[in-house]
Amino acid sequence: MLEDLDKLRRQQIIRICMLVVLDSLLAGVFIWLWPKIIGEQHTTLVIALDCLTIAIIGAITTVFTIKMMFRPARVLTQAILHVASEHSNIPAPDLTKIHIGKKALTELVGKIYDMASSSNTLKGADATSIQQLRDLSDKLPMPVIIFDSQDNIVFVDQMAEDYVGLHASQMVGAVFWDIFKLSFSSDLTLDAWVKECRTNKAVDHAMWQRVRLPDSKNPAVFKQFDLAAYFNKDNPFGNEVIVSLFDRTDSYARDDLDLSFVALAVHELRTPITIMRGYIEVFEDELMDKLDDDHKRFMRNLKVSAESLGGFINNILNVARIENNQLELHLTETTWPEVVNQAIVDMNLKAAITNVHIEAKLALDLPHVGVDRVSIYEVLTNLLDNAIKYSPAGSVITVSSAVNDTFVETTVTDTGIGIPDSLMPHLFDKFYRSHRSRSQVGGTGLGLYLCKKIVKAHDGELWVKSKENQGSTFGFKIHTWDSLAAERKEGDNGNISRGAHGWIKNHSLYRG
Amino acid sequence: MGEDRKLKILCIEDEHFISELYSRALEKAGYEVKVVLDGEEGLAAALTDEFDIILLDLMVPGITGFELLDRLKESGKKLKARIIITTNLQQADEDRAKLEDQADGYIIKAEITPHELVALLQNVIPNHAGPSAAGPAL
Repeated sequence: MLEDLDKLRRQQIIRICMLVVLDSLLAGVFIWLWPKIIGEQHTTLVIALDCLTIAIIGAITTVFTIKMMFRPARVLTQAILHVASEHSNIPAPDLTKIHIGKKALTELVGKIYDMASSSNTLKGADATSIQQLRDLSDKLPMPVIIFDSQDNIVFVDQMAEDYVGLHASQMVGAVFWDIFKLSFSSDLTLDAWVKECRTNKAVDHAMWQRVRLPDSKNPAVFKQFDLAAYFNKDNPFGNEVIVSLFDRTDSYARDDLDLSFVALAVHELRTPITIMRGYIEVFEDELMDKLDDDHKRFMRNLKVSAESLGGFINNILNVARIENNQLELHLTETTWPEVVNQAIVDMNLKAAITNVHIEAKLALDLPHVGVDRVSIYEVLTNLLDNAIKYSPAGSVITVSSAVNDTFVETTVTDTGIGIPDSLMPHLFDKFYRSHRSRSQVGGTGLGLYLCKKIVKAHDGELWVKSKENQGSTFGFKIHTWDSLAAERKEGDNGNISRGAHGWIKNHSLYRG
Repeated sequence: MGEDRKLKILCIEDEHFISELYSRALEKAGYEVKVVLDGEEGLAAALTDEFDIILLDLMVPGITGFELLDRLKESGKKLKARIIITTNLQQADEDRAKLEDQADGYIIKAEITPHELVALLQNVIPNHAGPSAAGPAL
């Protein structure tokens, strides 16, 4: 290239020199003709000398001018060629020899070097980093998948190939979500997080537990893993999202088995607690008027405790059902005040111990709702139980219901200690109990988790508002029966009322 | 159904405390209750067709509640009794379908107290024979 430039330069010099020579010849002819026009004589030697002088001066001027004109181009070309990797033997241009426009040229060459160095980093790092990543991820016992801002997979490691059972060539270039049909146990899913990151974040990372990936051939079989994701917006290599999976299929399966075992064990508690409640009922019937006030109070405490134990057992069993996707809801047309009042009556006994009063404020025009009575009753008793736990003695808990569009919205409001803002995000987590509640009040930490799941299974919403030291309001929305018309199944024609825990032909379900 | 004839209930239940609680509450409500502890005995008693209501625990010694229902069906005998399953188990869907076909009701024992059982049975077959000891119907 430099040679081409030099050749071009030489050609230009020769062309201009020839022009100069032609020019000086013309000048000679002109000088020779001049005396004939004006009548004076020059010697031929003088004419020749004149011509020669003009030619030599012209040629020298031309050579220097052209050289000077070509210098910046030559320097820049040499600089570019110097940094271009395929011409690495070409030396850097000597900037000290530039005489005209030295500052500007030096800056330009500097710019070329800058660009070259960043593009070299890019190119070199691209190749090396992919190789390094491949080496590293092939050594790590975990699948790694990388996709770009268009959701197209740009990299999968050996483990990912084995894990999914597809060759890299089948995955690279494909849309991540088409290959990885993940299901999450949390509300925030990977795709929601990526979407969120793309609008609001430059760099972020997140982790999920108990993510499932169904087998491509048999959807009933699935792998379970924890998933870590790293987001880097506008990553120069297109590696926008890096996903790594930690396989936990076996240990989660074992956990599920453990949960099944706990559920089985807890199940065994149902018979004795049923019997205790039965005998307490007999005592109430037959002994109450023979007891003095103290004994009556003991009796009541015994009953409340038995009811609480029954509640815990139900919560644990229901959580086990939810975890195993076995919670079945049978929605029936239900008069909502019946359920609410039943729950209030049942919880009043417990509330009375601390002299807490439960008040119902139900709108008179409430439409029928479509609920699974058994489980929605548990939502109400859990929310009431919670409110009682955190209510000061002598206070009032208010249960309100009103129609809201195609929903009936119910709130349980207490004037208790309230919930600090910092605890709000974890309130509905499994086994979650506020730090103060650990020492002050009992509970399995399953109640609110269960409420949320049950309400969600009803396609409703559960929410909480709270101010520390002023009390809390838990509210939930459930569909009116009419708004469920499209979902109503043929066959449940009213002769059989189904419930999650029982049914009787030709008669409405006995209770909650 | 005569005004003075007590309705007869067969309670097939091996858990002694449960059967005691049920029979006590039901007797106070004016029913006549016979308790049997295992499936074979329960089947024999059921086939006498002298009962108005049969409370059948699915998990009893001898033959299970499911088998008992099958054997009743095989016998070809049309009983007058309403059969109510009592259990603490959640049934799988296919079992539920079977029970729906062969029984008249299904109760989770842990979900109801003896009072509630009485109220429930009053609903199934109103009992005019004795004073009701049942609490308010739910």
